[in-house]
Amino acid sequence: MSCRRRSSERPRAGTLIPRSRKVLFFLFFLSAAQLLAQTTESDRTVPILTGTAGYFNFVTAGQNQLDAQINPVVLLPLGDRWLVESRAEFEGAFQRPPDGGTYGGMVSKNLDYAQVDYIANTFVTVTVGRFLTPFGIFNERLYPVWIRSLQQDPLILPLSAQSSDGMMLRGGFSVNTRLNLNYAAYVSTISTAHNNLQSNRDAGGRMGVFLPGPRIEFGASWQKLLQDQRTNLFGLHFAWQPTWLPLNLHFEYARSYQGSGYWVDGAYRFSEVVFWQKTMRHLEFAARAEQFFNGQISPDEAEALGLPGANTREGEFGLNYYLHDGLKLVGSYGRQFSYAGNFNLWTAGIAYRFAVPLGRVAQ
Amino acid sequence: MKSKLLAAIWLLALMSAIGVAAAPPRTNRSTEPVVRNSAEAETMRLEGEKRFRANCGRCHTAPQKFPPRMMATIIRHMRVRATITDEDMRLVFFYMTQ
Repeated sequence: MSCRRRSSERPRAGTLIPRSRKVLFFLFFLSAAQLLAQTTESDRTVPILTGTAGYFNFVTAGQNQLDAQINPVVLLPLGDRWLVESRAEFEGAFQRPPDGGTYGGMVSKNLDYAQVDYIANTFVTVTVGRFLTPFGIFNERLYPVWIRSLQQDPLILPLSAQSSDGMMLRGGFSVNTRLNLNYAAYVSTISTAHNNLQSNRDAGGRMGVFLPGPRIEFGASWQKLLQDQRTNLFGLHFAWQPTWLPLNLHFEYARSYQGSGYWVDGAYRFSEVVFWQKTMRHLEFAARAEQFFNGQISPDEAEALGLPGANTREGEFGLNYYLHDGLKLVGSYGRQFSYAGNFNLWTAGIAYRFAVPLGRVAQ
Repeated sequence: MKSKLLAAIWLLALMSAIGVAAAPPRTNRSTEPVVRNSAEAETMRLEGEKRFRANCGRCHTAPQKFPPRMMATIIRHMRVRATITDEDMRLVFFYMTQ
C-alpha cells in the first residue's frame, strides 16, 4: 500500500525509443527568436509570470507525505496572434521512512509545456512544441492546484500521457447563439533523452460541444499510440454549471487496455446561504466518486504507471475556504476500497495563484 | 545536465519575456471591441459577464480584475487553453477591463 503519486512523478506509458527532442526544442526557440524580431510591436499585452504554489499534507493509509510545489507559468504574447507559453513543475515530496527518522524525499522537476501558439483565424490555433495532451478535461483545465476542488489526482489520470511533443490544431467557434463547438487534434513524437521532457509517439484528438444557455459541455477524446502495442484510448467528458445554483459538476470516463474508469465530482459554493454570509460565501464543499477497473496489464505494470494494481473504488469530500480568489485553504477526507486493501486519504493544505506582469501595465 | 537544460529553457523564456516587455505599447486591435456609446457599453458589459460566467466559471472561480494589458495576455492564454470562441474572448475581455 503506497501513497498515490502525483502525475509529475509518474513514468510514461510504453517503451520509449531515443529520437528528436533536440530538433523539437531547437525549432521551438528558433520560432520564438524569429517572432521576437517582429513582435516587439506587442500591442497592449504584456508578458506575465504567473502560476501556482501550494503546500499540502497527504496522509495515505496513515503515512504522511509533505508536499511543497511551485508551478510557474510564463506567458509571452507576440504581436496580435502569437503566444509563447510555458509551465514548469517543481515538486518536493517528503516522507518519513517506515522505520522512523527524519522526513526525506526528492524534488522533482518537470516541464509540463513549452509551446508556441499561432491564432490563425476564428477557427484554428496552431500549436507547436511541448503541450498538455488534450484528453478529457482534467489534464488541460482542472490540473492546477488553485483550480481543482480536491487535491488528489483522479485514479484514471495516468491512462493518458500528460504532455506531448509535436504539433496540434485546436479551436472553438460558435455554430449559433445556443451552440459552440471546440476541438483539438494533435500528433506527438517520441522524446526520451531527458526524463522531464518525455513523450510518446501518438496521435489523437478531442471534440466538445458547449451549450452556453444551460452551461453544459460534453465531448469525447481519442488517442492512438503509434508505438509498441499501438493501442487505443477513448474518453468521454461532461461538465455542467447550473444557472440557478452555485454548483460545478465534472465527469470523465476513460478506457484503454491498461484499464478503465470514471470520476465524477461536484463543488458547491455556499454563496447563497442566508446565515453567516460573510464567512459562508468564501466556503466551498467538494465531493468526488470514482472507480477504476483493471485492464490487460499486470498489477506491477499498473502500479509502475501510477494506476491502482487492483479494481478500486474511492469516495472523497472536502472543504475549500477562499481567503481571496487566488488563495485557498483546503481540507478533505476520502476512503479507497480495493482488493489490495482499504485505507483513508486525508489532505490539508494551502493553494495560491500568483500573476506578475513582466513590464509596464499602465496605459 | 538535466537541471541545466531545464534552467536554460526557463532563462531563455524569461529573457524573451523581459525583452518584449521593454518594447513600447501599441494599440491592441485584436482584442478590444469597438464601443460607440454608453448604452452599447452597458449591453456589452452585461453580455461579457454572462460569457465570463459561462466560459470561465466552468473551471475556476472568478479571478480579480487585472490591469487591461495583463488581462489581454491572460485572455489570449485562455482562448488557447479553454478553446473559447473569438467573440467570447472579446466580450470577456471587455467585461474584465471595465
